[in-house]
Amino acid sequence: MHNRYSLKEMFFEHLTRFSAILVLFFLSAIFIVLIIKAYPAIHHFGFSFITEQKWAPNFELFGGLPAIYGSFISTLIAMLFAIPVAIGIAIFLSEIAPKSLKSPIGVSIELLAAIPSVVYGMWGLFYLAPFMRDVFGGNGLGLFTAGLILAIMILPFISAITRDALNTTPKILKESAYALGATQWDVIKDIMIPYAKAGIVGSVILALGRAFGETMAVTFVMGNAHQIPSSIFEPATSIPSTLANEFSEVDSELYLSSLYLLALILFIISFIIIAFAKFYFLKNRVKRKKRLV
Amino acid sequence: MATVDKINEEIDLEVKNFSFRYAGSETNSLKNVSLPIAKNKVTALIGPSGCGKTTLLRSLNRIHDLYHGNKYFGEIKFEGHNILEEDEDLIHLRIRIGMIFQKPTAFPMSIYDNVAYGLRLQGVKDHKTLDIKVAEALKGGALFDEVKNRLHDDADSLSGGQQQRLCIARAIAVEPEILLFDEPTSALDPISTIAIESLIKSLKDKVTIVIVTHNMQQAQRISDYTAFMYLGELIEFGKTSKIFSNPDEDLTKQYIGGKFG
Amino acid sequence: MTASTKRKIINKFILSLSTLFAIIGVAFLFWILFILLKNGLSALSLNMFIEDGAPPGSDGGLRHAMVGQLILAIGATLVGVPIGILAGTFVREYGKKSPFADLIRDLSDIMMSAPSIVIGTFVYALLVAPTGGFSGYAGITALAIMMVPIILRTTDDMLGLVPNSLREAAIALGAPKYKMIKDVVYRGAKVGILTGILLGIARVAGETAPLLFTSFNSNFFETDLAEPIASLTVTMFNYATSPYEDWQSLGWGAALVLAGFVLGLNILGRIWLSLNHITRKKILKKRKR
Repeated sequence: MHNRYSLKEMFFEHLTRFSAILVLFFLSAIFIVLIIKAYPAIHHFGFSFITEQKWAPNFELFGGLPAIYGSFISTLIAMLFAIPVAIGIAIFLSEIAPKSLKSPIGVSIELLAAIPSVVYGMWGLFYLAPFMRDVFGGNGLGLFTAGLILAIMILPFISAITRDALNTTPKILKESAYALGATQWDVIKDIMIPYAKAGIVGSVILALGRAFGETMAVTFVMGNAHQIPSSIFEPATSIPSTLANEFSEVDSELYLSSLYLLALILFIISFIIIAFAKFYFLKNRVKRKKRLV
Repeated sequence: MATVDKINEEIDLEVKNFSFRYAGSETNSLKNVSLPIAKNKVTALIGPSGCGKTTLLRSLNRIHDLYHGNKYFGEIKFEGHNILEEDEDLIHLRIRIGMIFQKPTAFPMSIYDNVAYGLRLQGVKDHKTLDIKVAEALKGGALFDEVKNRLHDDADSLSGGQQQRLCIARAIAVEPEILLFDEPTSALDPISTIAIESLIKSLKDKVTIVIVTHNMQQAQRISDYTAFMYLGELIEFGKTSKIFSNPDEDLTKQYIGGKFG
Repeated sequence: MTASTKRKIINKFILSLSTLFAIIGVAFLFWILFILLKNGLSALSLNMFIEDGAPPGSDGGLRHAMVGQLILAIGATLVGVPIGILAGTFVREYGKKSPFADLIRDLSDIMMSAPSIVIGTFVYALLVAPTGGFSGYAGITALAIMMVPIILRTTDDMLGLVPNSLREAAIALGAPKYKMIKDVVYRGAKVGILTGILLGIARVAGETAPLLFTSFNSNFFETDLAEPIASLTVTMFNYATSPYEDWQSLGWGAALVLAGFVLGLNILGRIWLSLNHITRKKILKKRKR
């Protein structure tokens, strides 16, 4: 009797442990496979891969700079738009909106965060790009349009988390600031935002990671040009959109390897961004929450 | 009818026929309360939970206005002027009438910045002035000696009792005329409680104090006047010595005698 | 001007500004929703649900993509959910606060936010390149890899909500640990885990990037997992970027169906969870009495 139980017990425990190890395995396997696959390109181009601007498959010449540049700039544009608007929405939802509006707007924003990014991309292609073309000239494709779509895509995410973080400020803390003669904005800026800082910064960095690695929202409107555009209103490319457009059409080993090298670069940068957000900011939250509870 | 003893003092705040109703409620939580608050004295509000003593205290600086739909009726006169008026400047009112809460509410900033907060809100920017006033306030809060070497540490690093004294220092830094205390020692240990009590006694030379307390010994120890409330009504108001030794109302007698509460 | 009037003016200004930002942001989001509804609804037709893909101009439908999408989502769920639940069980019930369990938690957080296209390239190297072709299997693998960390974390959180007293009671009755987990802990966390699964399915069902070079796409009705399989997301991408108006319109139809599916799962999960919350409160109240 006892033996049968302990055998099953051991089996179950090992099964769960094995599954947990699978996570570790997947993540390391992704790293290793990307490195192996990217090795020919690393060997061939070396460090110059990330400084070279030319991307000419016909001549077996691959430079990653335009894609890397495009990823950074479109993400930067996205953050510039998204951060103030998202924090505005969060402040509106937690402090300004009447009770009857808080929950419907709040829930619809959370649901919008669940809409597949490919839908945002499609909207961008058919509506935002023509609008941009009419306003700024050119063909409406490029880093600015891509950045704007990314901004809209990450907006619900940052707003929802920032609102939650602001809402964790204890009522009594807010009241004691009002009792000193503070205005609503004084309380928001001096009490709520400092109190929720870790959560807000963490969510912004996580959103940054998302924007940086996003494929579908930007691929439609990048314009797929391997160049460092002279303006943000000209066609460009990013790492994910290069992969999406070219990966299944490669015709040489070096070409494929160069794409893997781009994927590796994307993976490493994302890894760093996410790890930074998680460990540096989102963990501090626990410490803060313990106060006043 | 309540027994409200006439008092022979300068009156700072005069509550007249005051009623209060919370948003969404059908009935008034405070019913026709009238009492005087004497200047530079300590007035204690006592009574069982739910009697309305905290509700009354929170009406005196209109902190209830933070939540929509709460309604005031009657008058609360401060220097002859009714502070319940629609267009009352609440910021100005709250600078003149400060408040200390049940739990210490140190802001997420340094000790120094906590005390300087109210002054900065009022536009004081000069470093020297701030330094002097912060030090004064901390001395007034009987905290200066303990923190003078770490003014720029996070206020979180202080103990609960120290944090509550910090909140008192923060409140007196803006030189209010009245200070409202909402059960300020309910979250503290006995030693910190004694420190806060002697601090309150020393503060009344400069400010008028209204304190809500659950603890009848505390009311006896520190207050000059006591108001006993029950179910939203004022039952009896008078000199503390009289309320605790020889009250007029039976309800007061029973409560003081520990029959309920 | 006194400091307090200045502060009042600044207060008014900033609060109005943040209201304005909120209106702009919400307006954009609702604009997208409106466009999706308008174009999607006008593309909806019976044909869309009963016909398969066809060349432009010949009245094709999306049945192949819907079925493909379902196959991929179900396949990923069948593979990803058991692994995720078991791994989540390990970190909560066996690993607890050990460094190894924390490492697994952190890694799965990172994996959850990793760019999905990278997972596509990984599976391509693992399953597509060696076998010489895109396949449903590869697509399922990619989606399952994305699903595992999601399920792991919800399982971990939901098991954490089961009170320890229940565990102790089961052990005190002489139940071995695995039985205690199976009969008591899983039962207690059932609704939470199921909700997590719903949200996990919703999450991977909206993915396009990891499918681009794994399950690829197909214009035919395909149920053989060894072959390339269509999905709504990749079909949307291909149709939307095509020059043909009827394909673009079908793309919007696909977008509406997909968004409806994903939002439906999300709403279902929310309702489910809140209902459970209410019953749980009721139970607690009863216990108190």
